[in-house]
Amino acid sequence: MKRFWCLFFMIWPVLALYVCWIAPSMGWWFPFTGPTGMKAASPLGERIDDLFYMILYITTATFVGTQIALGYVLFKGAAATDEGNTEKAWYSHGSHNLEVIWTIVPACVLLFIALYQMDVWAQYRVKDSFPSETKQGAIAEVTARQFEWRIRYPGLGPDGKPLPLMPEPQPTDLYTVNDLHAVVGKAVMIILETQDVQHSFFLPELRVKQDAVPGLDIPVWFKASKSGDYTLLCAELCGWGHYKMKARMVAETEDKYLEFLQNLTKSQNYDGVPETPAEGAPVASAAE
Amino acid sequence: MRSKLVALVLCSGMLFVCGCGRTEPQFSYREGLSPRVQEYVRTTVDEKFGTPHKIRVWDKLPIQAHTALATVGEGSKDNSLVVDISGASRPIEPGTEVVWVGGTIMPRGSAPVTVEAFTKDKNLLSLVAAPPAAPKAGDKIVIGPGQTLTHGRLLYAEHCQHCHGVAGDGQGPTAPYLNVRPRDYRKGLFKFTSTKEGMKAHRSDLARVIEDGIPGTYMPSFKLLKPEESHAIIEYVLFLAMRGESEFQMNNLLASDYSDASVANRIKDGETQEKVIEEFVTRVKEGEIDEEVNQRNEKMIADWVSAQAEDAVIVPKEKRNASDEESIKRGRELYLSGNLNCVACHGESGLGDGVQTYSVTKNTDTGKDNVEPGLYDTWGNKLKPRNLRLGMYRGGRRPIDIYARIEAGIKGTPMPAFGAKLTEQQKWDIVNYVLELPHELRTPGTGVAPASPATKPAPVATTAH
Repeated sequence: MKRFWCLFFMIWPVLALYVCWIAPSMGWWFPFTGPTGMKAASPLGERIDDLFYMILYITTATFVGTQIALGYVLFKGAAATDEGNTEKAWYSHGSHNLEVIWTIVPACVLLFIALYQMDVWAQYRVKDSFPSETKQGAIAEVTARQFEWRIRYPGLGPDGKPLPLMPEPQPTDLYTVNDLHAVVGKAVMIILETQDVQHSFFLPELRVKQDAVPGLDIPVWFKASKSGDYTLLCAELCGWGHYKMKARMVAETEDKYLEFLQNLTKSQNYDGVPETPAEGAPVASAAE
Repeated sequence: MRSKLVALVLCSGMLFVCGCGRTEPQFSYREGLSPRVQEYVRTTVDEKFGTPHKIRVWDKLPIQAHTALATVGEGSKDNSLVVDISGASRPIEPGTEVVWVGGTIMPRGSAPVTVEAFTKDKNLLSLVAAPPAAPKAGDKIVIGPGQTLTHGRLLYAEHCQHCHGVAGDGQGPTAPYLNVRPRDYRKGLFKFTSTKEGMKAHRSDLARVIEDGIPGTYMPSFKLLKPEESHAIIEYVLFLAMRGESEFQMNNLLASDYSDASVANRIKDGETQEKVIEEFVTRVKEGEIDEEVNQRNEKMIADWVSAQAEDAVIVPKEKRNASDEESIKRGRELYLSGNLNCVACHGESGLGDGVQTYSVTKNTDTGKDNVEPGLYDTWGNKLKPRNLRLGMYRGGRRPIDIYARIEAGIKGTPMPAFGAKLTEQQKWDIVNYVLELPHELRTPGTGVAPASPATKPAPVATTAH
């Protein structure tokens, strides 16, 4: 019976390992509904995933090691109480050397992780390390609000190219709700704001998550590696309608993006008068 | 051990009683009528509209309640019909029920006939089994009876109900926490419409609000809904609006004689409670009240039908003129003019702080002075005239949206329709001015003055000594 319990307690770590092993292929860890499937949909996202897996490998090794040690101790203890065993209990005040080892080794591991991830962190969050493409300025201002995303794009200039985004609203600006468009394969920056409480700008497929904080204009950049529709969620419990706060991010080619802005300009300036009145329409004949 | 067991049993018992109980959603009703009269109103409304779980499709209502309506055409065989679809509101999927309207093909109690497949380009509807009798050309059929409304009800419960309430009364559980109150549909009135003065909302107006939300209020955008989902919600909201309005009309009709207050007055004047009720019962029996109610329903239905017509939508007769300095200046002059008197509510600088916001106003229903000064809407909520400098346009920011506000007003609010008072170009001038206001940083009307270097002040010290 003793050995049954030893085995019973050893089954769980094995099961945990198995579940972790199959998790990626089952889509339990990362969102997998986007255009790129299980893979992160941005280059930085892939590096973030690599970091995740590296930490996972370290913790797995630690976990396996400690579980084997635990199993060894369990079986040894079980054997010690077998009938006819004459081994005596022994007393210990601990081992100084061992304690030094298990303090220094994890400290080194943590220090390694801290240093190893700095580059990714800087690229992700420190504005000076943003890709040079984002230096041209933000493509849109995304304002979170209970419970939707309001987006302000700069309008198109006379040359047909988007104007620079100004901090204050301009008469030429274009507006959408819950519909963020960006050029695929290009690092783009948005300015994140909130009108009311804290929200969080979350593009799960691109592994981008940034809190929107009242009073702050926060630059966020991302680069979608494949065109298609991505999910944009709020990842900060912001009130009773938090679950509603879902939008889409459309990554598309430069041409399509400009076309989108052109259509937006057209619909936003729509004055309700049909473009070309049909021939012989009453309006035209009355004017004659 | 024993006390723990008792505690466990008690806890799970509590959970069973309180936590797992389910209450059926119920439509709410207006109150204030004498109980017997109230009962009459309730039964009449329920007869026509049903309950949330048993919706009745009153076929007089201009609602697309079914998946599709169709007429059987020539060349139909037993279970393969050539159909002429007249009103399709959603895709026809296999398994959808088909019902014959009138005729003897499907007697009461016969097994339902369902769709096996629908070929759209050939208009061919194949059924799983042949109907009990051979279909004839010209038979009218309903595909998916009431399906749009049922789907709409589920989506409404998921997305809308917690603010707008089960019956669309704007009294959902989250409503008390919102400081722009959710719309009460039960007057059949929606504020931001593209239709002409005094007309009800067009379907596309509801669609736009669902898609884009209303900035400045708690109504969020539901852009990610599929078109048929948004359509189903709109039909259900229209259904609730018509149900509510029908009840509202009945209450209005009966309130003068049978509201709690009028009955109390009549008793004071010497009548007895029994007499009053008896009089009501005879009036119902003679059909007098039913007839009156029917007339009002007919009018409501006609109003909704006419609002969906093509000519109900406002189309400016002339194109918008360029938003240049001249036009904006003219717009501002009109804005300030005594004729239009925009400033009375929106204020001279467009901040929404006109004198009306602190004047005693009259209640639109009772005609008496409101207790608190300020502006009110038809629903009795206190209103702030829009601050035009925020660049936040609840009914949409397209020029046509603002044109429609000026042309037809905002329904249910003190914002009047100016359509008859202005020429086309004048309306566009005001639109241009309103769109310019948020970007005007200094002197109203002049735009942003170019910066000029400060002049050196004249020396003052020389004459002092």
